[in-house]
Amino acid sequence: MNSPQIINAPLLLIKGLSVSFETPLGRVKAAEDVCLEMQDGETLALVGETGCGKSVVAGAIMQLLPHNACVQGRAIFGGRDLLGLDEREMARIRGSEISIVFQNPSLALNPIMRVGEQIAEMLRVHKNISRNRSLRMAEDMLRRLGMVEKEKARMYPFQFSGGMNQRVMIATSMILSPRIIIADEPSKGLDGTLAREVMAEMASIKDQMGASLLLITHDLMLAKDVSDRMAVMYCGEIVEIGKSREIFSNPLHPYTIALLGCLPERGFQPIPGSSPSMINPPIGCKFHPRCQQCREKCRRKQKMTKVEGRREVPGKDECTDREVRCWLY
Amino acid sequence: MLAILKAQDVGKAYESGLIFKKQHIVLQGITLAVNEGKTLGLMGVSGSGKTTLGMMLAGLERPTSGRVLFAGKDLASMRGPEFLAFRRQVQMVFQDPEGSLNPRKSIEKSIHEVLSLLKIPPREWRDRTGEILETVGLSEELLCRYPAQISGGQCQRLALGRVLLLQPTVIILDEPTSALDISVQAQILNLLRDLQRDLGLAYLLISHQPEVIRFMAHETIILESERTLEEKAKRRWI
Ligand SMILES: Nc1ncnc2c1ncn2[C@@H]1O[C@H](COP(=O)(O)OP(=O)(O)O)[C@@H](O)[C@H]1O
Ligand SMILES: [Mg+2]
Repeated sequence: MNSPQIINAPLLLIKGLSVSFETPLGRVKAAEDVCLEMQDGETLALVGETGCGKSVVAGAIMQLLPHNACVQGRAIFGGRDLLGLDEREMARIRGSEISIVFQNPSLALNPIMRVGEQIAEMLRVHKNISRNRSLRMAEDMLRRLGMVEKEKARMYPFQFSGGMNQRVMIATSMILSPRIIIADEPSKGLDGTLAREVMAEMASIKDQMGASLLLITHDLMLAKDVSDRMAVMYCGEIVEIGKSREIFSNPLHPYTIALLGCLPERGFQPIPGSSPSMINPPIGCKFHPRCQQCREKCRRKQKMTKVEGRREVPGKDECTDREVRCWLY
Repeated sequence: MLAILKAQDVGKAYESGLIFKKQHIVLQGITLAVNEGKTLGLMGVSGSGKTTLGMMLAGLERPTSGRVLFAGKDLASMRGPEFLAFRRQVQMVFQDPEGSLNPRKSIEKSIHEVLSLLKIPPREWRDRTGEILETVGLSEELLCRYPAQISGGQCQRLALGRVLLLQPTVIILDEPTSALDISVQAQILNLLRDLQRDLGLAYLLISHQPEVIRFMAHETIILESERTLEEKAKRRWI
């Protein structure tokens, strides 16, 4: 097949997305000119340090940001711009076509409703499925996520640990077979091995449904294990995007290189300096004050630029799709 | 090498049940020594009693068997001022950095709190505060903020700074970087190594990450899980 990516329109196309918040201390530029494409069935990881703006991107496309947010740009899904939809249209899309698993399950679950009922309610409201049948489907989904005992579905969120509630959230987000699942730090609150198991199960259910997954995480190893492509975010901007394996084996942006150097496997090499303010970020490349390879040019803004993959196999028509925002390339 | 803090055959058991008393063994027969200026790594799966052991070594909990010795002296035999002096010498830093700070006190207040505890005259507070912020790599801009307004890494640096004001000889670090981003983890671990080199601190480092232990520790011990202990106890019974 000849580069099918070019023919297929992406499932979701985010273009020039910028989000800022008006605060007493000034305007927080939480996301700037974010461009992302999601293909059918792929898992795209959005990675970066806590506070770099990952959740803000997800909140913007789902129209779930607080009122002090100013959102610009477009998010095209099914031929329509999500950012321009009114609340009624958006409510129809949320859950049934695009669903989101939040970082904090205790805020998203109804504390006085049995967890099985909460999951089943989605099926009744959106799909008109009978009570009994929807409850059975809810139990089944919980079982697939490792909550095997039937009684579990009849318990309340407060009777569960954070990790179990996290799995209830995941079940809720997947029960309607959405096209896109956005998972915001889905492994938070689950410890190491359990996090991997839940994530693997989530990925396999997602594959069976043929859905795409936008995985938002600060955990690079998790992103590497489950994602096809990866976008690295720093201080509100995407600095590098490409195939996850290639980014790990051959990072190009100096920030990606520095971030990977912090990994235990690479000897805990700290990045000099500290994360910049989002109110007065450095001009030009936001990483330049901390960059070992900084030059005069870096005080000017650079666009995302396609880079020829260095690992390209000759003769194989495989596109590397790497893009970097750096004057070195 | 001088063993500054020692556990000798230390154990901890809780009793539960009102009618049929059931002994729940958390730890049993632990012997270890933290050497001056060195790092002892402590590993074990969750539930193996790592935090309990750390708390007993810091004098925050009492062992139900065995002894904890600081500079050769049994904690159980220390009285009033002597025990207080020990409590100052051996400090503990926890995993959850926000949890160890009062959310209603500004960063400056929470540092002044320690200085006043140490009976440092208020005219020196400004300088001492500046010094400690520099040591742990925090900017003075943060002083007027509250814990919720600073990052997890900054909270952990602050927690470390407050502990350093007490000029301890031993710091017990209970998963100090587990809740942090890898970038912040790398910074904090390197800071801890620098502080050890400059101040001659001894650490007991509790972690479930082998890489963290390998990076930091001069020696390592591994705790068995409570289940293994219970299994063994049962077998002894039979
Ligand atoms: N409602 C808000 N008002 C002001 N600033 C906000 C608001 N929500 C988020 N921010 C800021 O936007 C930035 C990005 O936050 P977030 O997307 O949550 O980061 P991440 O998910 O990558 O950890 C942070 O600096 C955060 O403080
Ligand atoms: Mg987030």
